[in-house]
Amino acid sequence: MPLVELKGVSKRFGKVVASSNIDLRIEDGEYVTILGPSGCGKTTLIRMIAGILEPSEGKVLIGGRDMDGVPIEERDIGYVFQNIALFPHLNVLENVSYGPIAKDADQEEQRKVPARYLGLVNLLDRMKMFPSALSGGEQQKVALARALASGARILLLDEPLSALDARVRMDLRYELRRITKDLGLTVLHVTHDQEEAMTVSDRIVLMRRGRIVESNTPEMMYRAPKELFTANFIGETNLLDGVVVASGDERTLVELRDGSVMGAQPSQFEPGDAVVISVRPECVHVADDGLSAIVRSMSFMGTYIRITAEADSEDILGFDVRVPRGRDFNIGDHVHLGWSMESALVYPRPPGGIAEAVKLE
Amino acid sequence: MPSVTLRGIVKRYSDVTAADGLELTVNDREYLCLLGPTGAGKTTALRVIAGLTVPDEGAVLFDGKDVTSLEPEKRNAVLLSQTYSLFPTMTVADNVLFGPDIRKVSGGDKEQMLVSLLDLVRLTSRAESYPRELSGGMQQRCALARAIATSPDVLLLDEPLRALDARLRIDLRRELKSLARTLGLTVVHVTHDQDEALMMADRIAVMRAGRIVQVGTPEEVFNEPASPFVANFVGQSNFFTGTVVCSGPDGAMVEDRLGRRVKARPTDVPEGQKAVLAVKVGQTHIVKWEAASLHGRIERMLFEGRAVHVDVDVEGAGRFSSKVPVSYHGRYRVGDEVGIGWNRKKAKIFPYPEDGLQNELRVD
Repeated sequence: MPLVELKGVSKRFGKVVASSNIDLRIEDGEYVTILGPSGCGKTTLIRMIAGILEPSEGKVLIGGRDMDGVPIEERDIGYVFQNIALFPHLNVLENVSYGPIAKDADQEEQRKVPARYLGLVNLLDRMKMFPSALSGGEQQKVALARALASGARILLLDEPLSALDARVRMDLRYELRRITKDLGLTVLHVTHDQEEAMTVSDRIVLMRRGRIVESNTPEMMYRAPKELFTANFIGETNLLDGVVVASGDERTLVELRDGSVMGAQPSQFEPGDAVVISVRPECVHVADDGLSAIVRSMSFMGTYIRITAEADSEDILGFDVRVPRGRDFNIGDHVHLGWSMESALVYPRPPGGIAEAVKLE
Repeated sequence: MPSVTLRGIVKRYSDVTAADGLELTVNDREYLCLLGPTGAGKTTALRVIAGLTVPDEGAVLFDGKDVTSLEPEKRNAVLLSQTYSLFPTMTVADNVLFGPDIRKVSGGDKEQMLVSLLDLVRLTSRAESYPRELSGGMQQRCALARAIATSPDVLLLDEPLRALDARLRIDLRRELKSLARTLGLTVVHVTHDQDEALMMADRIAVMRAGRIVQVGTPEEVFNEPASPFVANFVGQSNFFTGTVVCSGPDGAMVEDRLGRRVKARPTDVPEGQKAVLAVKVGQTHIVKWEAASLHGRIERMLFEGRAVHVDVDVEGAGRFSSKVPVSYHGRYRVGDEVGIGWNRKKAKIFPYPEDGLQNELRVD
């Protein structure tokens, strides 16, 4: 039995449909991120699970029990908000102790609990400090310890790292996963950051415009996205317009706008079908022949150089080369680009155009 | 178009020194990123250039001319703050044309200007929309158009992409950079995001605790970090603490208390001195046991898309991370005993920091 289950959940605010007929099952101990651009309805979804919002239609079940009318305190849920919400006049220990600590624990146990969770987030040495003396990352760890100290089995994280610096965020996301896995918690983590979702989750649920686009493990979402929107949202990708010229068990051949024919994974398409090829920048390489293109810009990215090139097919392609080799390229250079067939996926060309299908806002 | 120079800028607030002797020259038409953690003093530096904050000491020069006491509006520099406030009751077009200098422009020219500005930020079809009808990215671009409409020579950007979704930010980085280049602006862009700085900047000035700790091209800052802090802040690094041994023109080694020796490029840090070796996570490799002098156990593997992040626990030396190509997937598992290695040219030796390594590396 899934621990959290949504059945046909919709939520409307006046004319705006924030969630549209959502079905979702989250297993006990699973770490799930709800990922999507601003306004996709992800926060609405988590708030309905918390009981802060009531669904317009459908059911929220926790542990098999219908949560209709059940208040947040009785849902076995800990909640961490985007904007760090600590009491400024209480020290760290008092802040963590303030939460609804495991209801039936004896007094001795109640005293130990806050310290145990502060230990878990590596803040024992900050116990007597006030929030104003802590960095943003530390404050958010205190908020996490407080949510954990309630003893809840389900943790809801609403953009918990968004207010923090990029570098702090990187360190904290590893911590989040480690701690919640150690405790065996079920986690629902809302974020707009695809890198964050990739590194913390067992499973990503990608949302757009109030609906679930696709749901799978981070690896499958990256390597074999079913939807064009997913391919572009989770990691960057090159999207090229074309028409299928041959299709079979081994590959699909697609003719691009300049007449060049490029390969991709096998698919169900028939010759003549209008399609889009998706191939990631790290999979594109310079070849002896292939798509003819002119180098337009280069940026140093640390361990690699991202080169952007304009192909004869009018497509703009990004591709990555290791730093030492990157020095061989200059803006204006003529190159030929290729990729292995397995690294390129084929999608039907969206009726409203590629730009609309992958639009981020 | 001017160059901007900061000379010995000091700014104190009651108990905090937000700027502690800043020396910096931003060249004509250069795109410079001020990169550092929250509280490093980046915004203070930007406001001093804009003339919105008066420094306690030091001078600001535009094209060699002292502008320290010149009012903000006479500097021909415009600052786009983190919370760009558009007028909610005005359309996009009216917001863009709000600036005082534009109101003086005659009708036909003004119309022409609006068309090209909206085209530049790709908001042509939204000219008659109100801010509340726009997405975050569009609002940001509208604020940018309004800032550029005043025809500044110097554009000062304070975390311009911070309020936007992560994925959108990646696309807008390119657009913003090419826009600045097209207009030939001198840009100072404040950010806490090292990827953003690497990708956008002609040069990066890394700030920490009110000081500029290094200025250089993205490659210089990444490959030749001035301190362990920079090595870790701009692209994560692994660290190995010990004593310098076998130092020579071809390279040096660091030996830890367990007698393990790891290699680095040549160093000025003398033999026998306590030191720390830094090597970028992206340049650290998982290798065969026999091929390495450093060994550990894989404690975690995280799929990151273009690579798999592997954490290896090395007894007595802490965690070493590596990025393994996705094609290697399946070759390693959590719990495997592996070797860790790197090209000696990629490892740099620093004197051991006075306040300890942990304090040196703190990012918040």
